[in-house]
Amino acid sequence: MSAAAALQASFRERGFIVDDAFATALQLVLALRKPLLVEGPAGVGKTESAKVLADVLGTRLIRLQCYEGLDALTALYEWNYPRQMLRIRMSEGEGESLQQREAQIFSEEFLLKRPLLEAIVQHEAPVLLIDEVDRADEAFEAFLLEVLAEWQVTIPELGTIRAQHPPHVILTSNRTRELSDALRRRCLFFWIPYPSLEQEIAILHARIPELSERLAAQIARSMQVLRGLPLQKAPGVAESLDWARAIINLHRDHLDLQVLEQTLGCVLKVREDHEVLDSHRDELQPVLDGPGSLQPGGHSLDTDFGLGSVSQPRK
Amino acid sequence: MTYPFDSLPANLAAFCDVLRDHRFRIGPRELQDAARALEITELFDERAVRNVLRPVLAGTFAEVHAFDRIFDRFFLRPAAVPAPATAAPAKTIADQAPPSGDPDLGRGAATDGDTAEEAAERGESQGAVQDVADAEGESTVALLRASYSPLDAEGAVLDLEPADRPWREAAAMLVSRVRAGRSRRWRPAARGPRFDLRRTLRSSLHTGGEVLSPRWQSRPRRRPRFVLLIDGSRSMATHTWPALQTAVGLAAVTLNTETFSFSTALRRITRDVRRAAGGERRLLQLHHAWGGGTAIGTCLREFLRLFGERLLGRDTLVMIASDGLDVGDPAVLRDAMAGISRQAAGIVWLNPLLGTPGYEPTALGMRIARPYVTTFASVTEPADLARLARVLRIR
Repeated sequence: MSAAAALQASFRERGFIVDDAFATALQLVLALRKPLLVEGPAGVGKTESAKVLADVLGTRLIRLQCYEGLDALTALYEWNYPRQMLRIRMSEGEGESLQQREAQIFSEEFLLKRPLLEAIVQHEAPVLLIDEVDRADEAFEAFLLEVLAEWQVTIPELGTIRAQHPPHVILTSNRTRELSDALRRRCLFFWIPYPSLEQEIAILHARIPELSERLAAQIARSMQVLRGLPLQKAPGVAESLDWARAIINLHRDHLDLQVLEQTLGCVLKVREDHEVLDSHRDELQPVLDGPGSLQPGGHSLDTDFGLGSVSQPRK
Repeated sequence: MTYPFDSLPANLAAFCDVLRDHRFRIGPRELQDAARALEITELFDERAVRNVLRPVLAGTFAEVHAFDRIFDRFFLRPAAVPAPATAAPAKTIADQAPPSGDPDLGRGAATDGDTAEEAAERGESQGAVQDVADAEGESTVALLRASYSPLDAEGAVLDLEPADRPWREAAAMLVSRVRAGRSRRWRPAARGPRFDLRRTLRSSLHTGGEVLSPRWQSRPRRRPRFVLLIDGSRSMATHTWPALQTAVGLAAVTLNTETFSFSTALRRITRDVRRAAGGERRLLQLHHAWGGGTAIGTCLREFLRLFGERLLGRDTLVMIASDGLDVGDPAVLRDAMAGISRQAAGIVWLNPLLGTPGYEPTALGMRIARPYVTTFASVTEPADLARLARVLRIR
């Protein structure tokens, strides 16, 4: 069995279905020691893949959640100011020089490690998840480039800290803005599309074993239909799982019109999308009427649903 | 799996050359990584080779999609591979007979790796944005052109001039009028709502920890973003220049300016506008985006679909320059306007006919768009733009 296949099997054991292409990309992260930039629509398992990778490797997951305004200090380190203040007050009258006092309070004892520094000082290579990197500012992205290239951090008061075991890095992006070419070139890239019909059924069974064959097929087929509609927020795999759990909680074993009405809120999160569905209700009808059997020809839709760079016109 | 050349390095280098021809950004580092990646895979398995090369050599969604097609053509139909264009790999394969050329693989078809935005920028018919018109049916497009373009205006060229000082000043006024929200980033400031502990501590070292001069932080304002959508149909032919000057003026003042032209299809012209703003005189090849009738709704819907999530937000002012003569489906225009209105800070409609005595906005497009527009204006000269800055209404 190849390393990628072994990785794929390990993910499957943990209820996370990855295809061989993604397993290979993760294998490359380990082999080439390069960060992996994962893009794709919301809810397809980008973040989860990093968590599962850490579990598979038996190492620590360190997560840096990006947001607008995130700066280098918040991501790297901060000094424990209240403790420093206290130490200064307590050491009053001890006759120490300014330099001695500085050396004392700017020591590792007073350092609060944030995710990036935490990832650098580990004794075993952790998985560093830099989540939603597109939400951070360009300035932070430039700073990130430096860290990802060198794996060393310079703290003026302490000196340079170099990673002994550089982390395995997974970056995720929802493409709310375009990332710089420089960042892309430092990373491997993988696009996670929505799963195909067969993949989605497999995911549903892997995550919710008690789900009936019929209901799993109905949910997966409904999702294929919904993702083909011009929705503002197309539902992802996370919505499929929520939907399945909601229907099970209603003690129903199949999807019909009544259940659809009761649980639609698990799938469509924007009012306008409900209106879109109303005008395309007939497209869902065969799924509700039929046995929900797996139809041949299920495929992953070749679109990123409005996230940009779509090369096919929507019908 | 069949290979065009004898050795693995030669095949890899030639394949990367073909990818570069398709505008993939592949440098020495990527080539090296690709070689290292091949070391960990089984070379007899085509799928495995494809899977290790794709994450290394394709860096965007569009490239991922183009990669598989190019891979198939290169490795599975080697007869179709053109002679490598660059010198380095050519040396490696010097002894090989150059394979016959395939027009699909040459530079002429180098749109595979482009993003939709880049395609839109060039206004190429293969691009995703232009595909919309194709999807609507060529016959419809032809009808639109025939009804609005008795003369063939497809080759029209517009002179895009650098904005002179009055335009830039008026644009600067407009930028200053749009007050964006506060950033989440904290910055050192003379006064502010938050203590800057780091700087305060530093300054108090000299006074034994006694805080005599506290330092503060505040959140700076974000920069507003401007999106201009300029109607390039024939009925607007005499009115496009001031709209473009507005765009160039804004681009000279703020980098957060995006410009599109539309008629039967959407085209991104931000790059041309930015160059003009930088002082470069540009001849804008207008293609048919400037020739045919106006499907405003379809184009705005495409804008929303391709760029909405990225460009629209509470700090974005959308400016649409059009006479509102729409020949598309009214429902599509209504939905598109509603979508933009929901996501943007405001919509300014620049209607050149507004200054015409006795003009009433009765065109169907105008009537549909009206409820969503926050400010109507007509801009023909810098003074008009300055006036717009004074009367501008945003949410």
